[in-house]
Amino acid sequence: NKPTQNYIRPCYFLIPSRGTPLSRLLCNCDEVSAGLASADTIFALSSGHGRCGVAVVRVSGPASVTSLRSMAGLTGSLPPPRKALLRSITDPLTREVLDRGLVLWFPAPHSFTGEDSVEFHIHGGPAVITAVLEALGSVPGMRPAEAGEFTRRAFQAGKLGLTEVEGLGDLIHAETEAQRRLALRQMSGELGHLYQDWSNKLKRCLAYVEAFIDFSEDELIEDGVLNQVDRVVCNLQTEMEQHLKDKRKGERLRSGVQVVIAGATNAGKSSLLNSICQRPAAIVSPIAGTTRDVVETALDIGGFPVLLIDTAGLRDSLDVVEREGVRRARERVEQADLTLVVVDCSNLPIDTQQAAAFLQEHLKSVMSTQKQNNCLLVLNKTDLLPEEQRQNLDMELRQVSGLPPACLISCHSNEGLQDFLTALHGNPLVSTVIYCNRISSIKIMKCDTIFAIY
Amino acid sequence: MLAKKTPLLQSFRSLVFRHASHLSRQQYDVIVVGGGHAGTEAAAAAARVGAETLLVTQKKNTIGALSCNPSLGGIGKGQLVKEVDALDGLCGRAGDWAGIHFSILNRSKGPAVWGPRAQLDRQRYREFIQSELLSTPRLTVLEGSVEELLVTEPNPEEPGQHRVKGICLANGNHPISASSVVLTTGTFLSGSLFVGQTTSPGGRIGDAPSSPGLSQTLRERLGLRTGRLRTGTPPRIVKDSVDLSEAQLHPPDSHPTPFSFLNTHTHCKPEEQLPCYLTFTTPGVERVVRESLHLNCHIQQDAKGPRYCPSIESRVLRFPGRRHQVWLEPEGMASDLLYPQGLSMTMPPDVQLRLIREIPAMHRAEIHTPGYGVQYDFVCPTQLSPALQVKSTQGLFLAGQINGTTGYEEAAAQGLWAGVNAARWALSMPLVALSRTESYIGVLIDDLVSRGITEPYRMFTSRAEYRTSLRPDNADLRLTLKGFEEVGCVSSLRYQKAVRVRDKLQEALAALEAIALSSAKWRKKLPGIHMTVYKSHCDLQKKEIERVQKEENMCLSPDLDYFSLPISLSEEVREILDRVRPSTLGAASRLQGITPAAVINLLHYVKYTGQKERGIHRNQPNQKEQGEEQRCQHDCEH
Repeated sequence: NKPTQNYIRPCYFLIPSRGTPLSRLLCNCDEVSAGLASADTIFALSSGHGRCGVAVVRVSGPASVTSLRSMAGLTGSLPPPRKALLRSITDPLTREVLDRGLVLWFPAPHSFTGEDSVEFHIHGGPAVITAVLEALGSVPGMRPAEAGEFTRRAFQAGKLGLTEVEGLGDLIHAETEAQRRLALRQMSGELGHLYQDWSNKLKRCLAYVEAFIDFSEDELIEDGVLNQVDRVVCNLQTEMEQHLKDKRKGERLRSGVQVVIAGATNAGKSSLLNSICQRPAAIVSPIAGTTRDVVETALDIGGFPVLLIDTAGLRDSLDVVEREGVRRARERVEQADLTLVVVDCSNLPIDTQQAAAFLQEHLKSVMSTQKQNNCLLVLNKTDLLPEEQRQNLDMELRQVSGLPPACLISCHSNEGLQDFLTALHGNPLVSTVIYCNRISSIKIMKCDTIFAIY
Repeated sequence: MLAKKTPLLQSFRSLVFRHASHLSRQQYDVIVVGGGHAGTEAAAAAARVGAETLLVTQKKNTIGALSCNPSLGGIGKGQLVKEVDALDGLCGRAGDWAGIHFSILNRSKGPAVWGPRAQLDRQRYREFIQSELLSTPRLTVLEGSVEELLVTEPNPEEPGQHRVKGICLANGNHPISASSVVLTTGTFLSGSLFVGQTTSPGGRIGDAPSSPGLSQTLRERLGLRTGRLRTGTPPRIVKDSVDLSEAQLHPPDSHPTPFSFLNTHTHCKPEEQLPCYLTFTTPGVERVVRESLHLNCHIQQDAKGPRYCPSIESRVLRFPGRRHQVWLEPEGMASDLLYPQGLSMTMPPDVQLRLIREIPAMHRAEIHTPGYGVQYDFVCPTQLSPALQVKSTQGLFLAGQINGTTGYEEAAAQGLWAGVNAARWALSMPLVALSRTESYIGVLIDDLVSRGITEPYRMFTSRAEYRTSLRPDNADLRLTLKGFEEVGCVSSLRYQKAVRVRDKLQEALAALEAIALSSAKWRKKLPGIHMTVYKSHCDLQKKEIERVQKEENMCLSPDLDYFSLPISLSEEVREILDRVRPSTLGAASRLQGITPAAVINLLHYVKYTGQKERGIHRNQPNQKEQGEEQRCQHDCEH
């Protein structure tokens, strides 16, 4: 039976509960829905992505003032406009102190974007930056800015001179391009598959809902499509919550990129670790099997946090302790973001073509083929090779396909070490993974908030 | 029904419908070619705006004819009808007059996506439209076939820019001149009809084909890109030969809801409404389709057909082994025919009869008029501005199926807007555009002109990003006020009514907001009032809408040479921009392949040139002498 009432002009207000005045209620529900991604307050790290003394995190939009109050502990009056104020910066949920830094309050229209804006000047350590960005992401109504969004807002508010905009397009282009490359790279990984799967499920749900809305009751839209959507969304929500709680991934986001040094015994792994950190972090000796456990060193490569991990040399051993060390080494290789496979090049066959085949074999013994994409070959002890052989080897490795990039170095003479560091630094895995990981975890959190409204 | 009229004698071809004094008139502000849904709305709208308007149609008798289905409205489409009505168009009131079965689709969902719909009496619909046009001041109707579109040679200072001069009729003694011409040729542009293995030129059975001169001019002289689409219509069934006891009865709403904001009730009394019937296809239907494929020219063509209104052939071939719905709809109060919606087909007539008889309710049914297919040319709509003016030809406007859409409502909406702008162009008023943030008409036109089409375009609520704000119930608040104050196509009577409604709603809302009650009490006190959660959602959307509108207000000149712009854009981006020529920054940012960086660079450019254009504008008060882009700029400043 179809409803028989006449077409009444619907009244667009909410029926309030528990005797609250209507206008008040409307405010409340605005705050609730402000959790949606489209409620337009944006934030971003505005001072480059490297390690630096001071980092500036910028917030723009109507919820800026909320972020200022909840993160700088300003319950009373706001600070005077455009005056720096030294405050403890806290996580709005846990009240944990994240850093001590300057906050600046720029009420509209006197700000870069013409909107209410806040700047947090914090210490430049990656851990602090991550923590502050994540804390901002948890403030209702806030989302990470898209590339160029601050500038676009500034421009629209008539805040930017023409000369200031020139060249900006190129900058944004570079940023988007880096993100695109990273996204592509991520998409091939395990996390990528997970995100892709979520994205497909969500799109399917949307398609179902749209079809349900756009085709009438009589048009054979199968019964139960909405129940199906409910189920999928519910499962997704659980999955995302668990993903966010996952300690291992959380740890990795915070501690940076894991770079594992692996290889046969006595290839010079620990020497490489010491050369990179420029201090004797690991014991080195000519005796094979010196390193038995995993040695971790946190360092900063090109402004990015890297956990460099030295492992036991891979060989079959009867020693129980050493066998455990080798097991751990293999485990770390499988978890690594990047593996440096160290080879003693004085052990290579003299014929360079055979050498390439030898290296391919050797890689197989160290790691699975899949992992070889995230790997760098380090051919150590070049000082032991005759000059001519070294050059031939270098040439051959540049031409041969099916091998990861290779660097010839000598930890003994430091020859080639600088080139190796440049290669490591320039590896995009090291530089961009961190920032984008941070952003994607904030985005998953937002997704979770939206599901809560659904 | 597709009436077979005796062709009128040549001597009656230029018979003037009314206003004898205009017999000798050879000059108009606006000429509208075509008398379908787009043409009638265009002509009426142009006249309402104040232009001396001429409607040219092959047969005055088919003005307002429903060539295909006898119904109006539906989900998404109902919103368009309400918006056309809010802008004082015809189809809403015509629907209320001619409707014989009213129902609101999607009632079980939120009111923003309710779809008002009605089955129509073909005769009454036509009569209403014809009598409305008769009583519209400044509007003349002329029977005739347009032989030629008259355009100027391209302006040497603006290469490729033409200007419309008027039209020439087939019996052409004199050309008829006009500042604006609106083409609403429907399926007639290089149309060909298909039944079985026979093909003949034409746009509708029973009507003469249109002259090839028109499509030649569009393609060859104006260099417009065209494509080919197809559609079809089902056979009409003799009602008495159908065993309706074999079909499910679908009664209308017991209280018909009028389309028009001016009407409180429909012409048809609630108890006089006629029902529809629902039946299903059988495996026999699929068998007949497969067996007769070799006799079916139309289905073998490459041209794209309407995805959401497919022929029975496409339905069974695409989804074999299924039962497909067939609706049996009344054609009119006094009509002895039924319209089998879902059975559009193009096989030979004897096979059509075999096919319908495979459906139990029609096992003895007789066909009155066989179904047939049509293939026709459309003009790629990305060559139009948001005012529906051809970018390369000043004063030439296109609306309806010629722009690649399908459906009466889509045609009517474009017709109205093209008519408004044709009149404004002729009267030297700045052209106007509707934003996708304020109307489905805006969504429709923006989708067409900035994205183009690959298959016949039909409206859905999901095409409108802001559909909770663009509701059928508030079309008057969104458009009637603007239609009167800014566009000039709304009568003061309708305007005053909308103002009263707005004021009373505001009063009521303010009064209610002052009261605090529990939700249970609210429900008791205001039964039947929709308690929706749209309020917070709409507020959220408002912010988004404001942002979009800012970008919509930044115009990109239609004659920009994107390849030589001294800004940093990739070749790929330049090619996309050059191909689509978006008219605003907002439209550009919605294009596929346009990067955020490109948008920033364009923004820069817009602001820079915006300052320059304003300078020109002050020095040249005569708008007629300026290109459309400056009109557009002018618009933006207000």
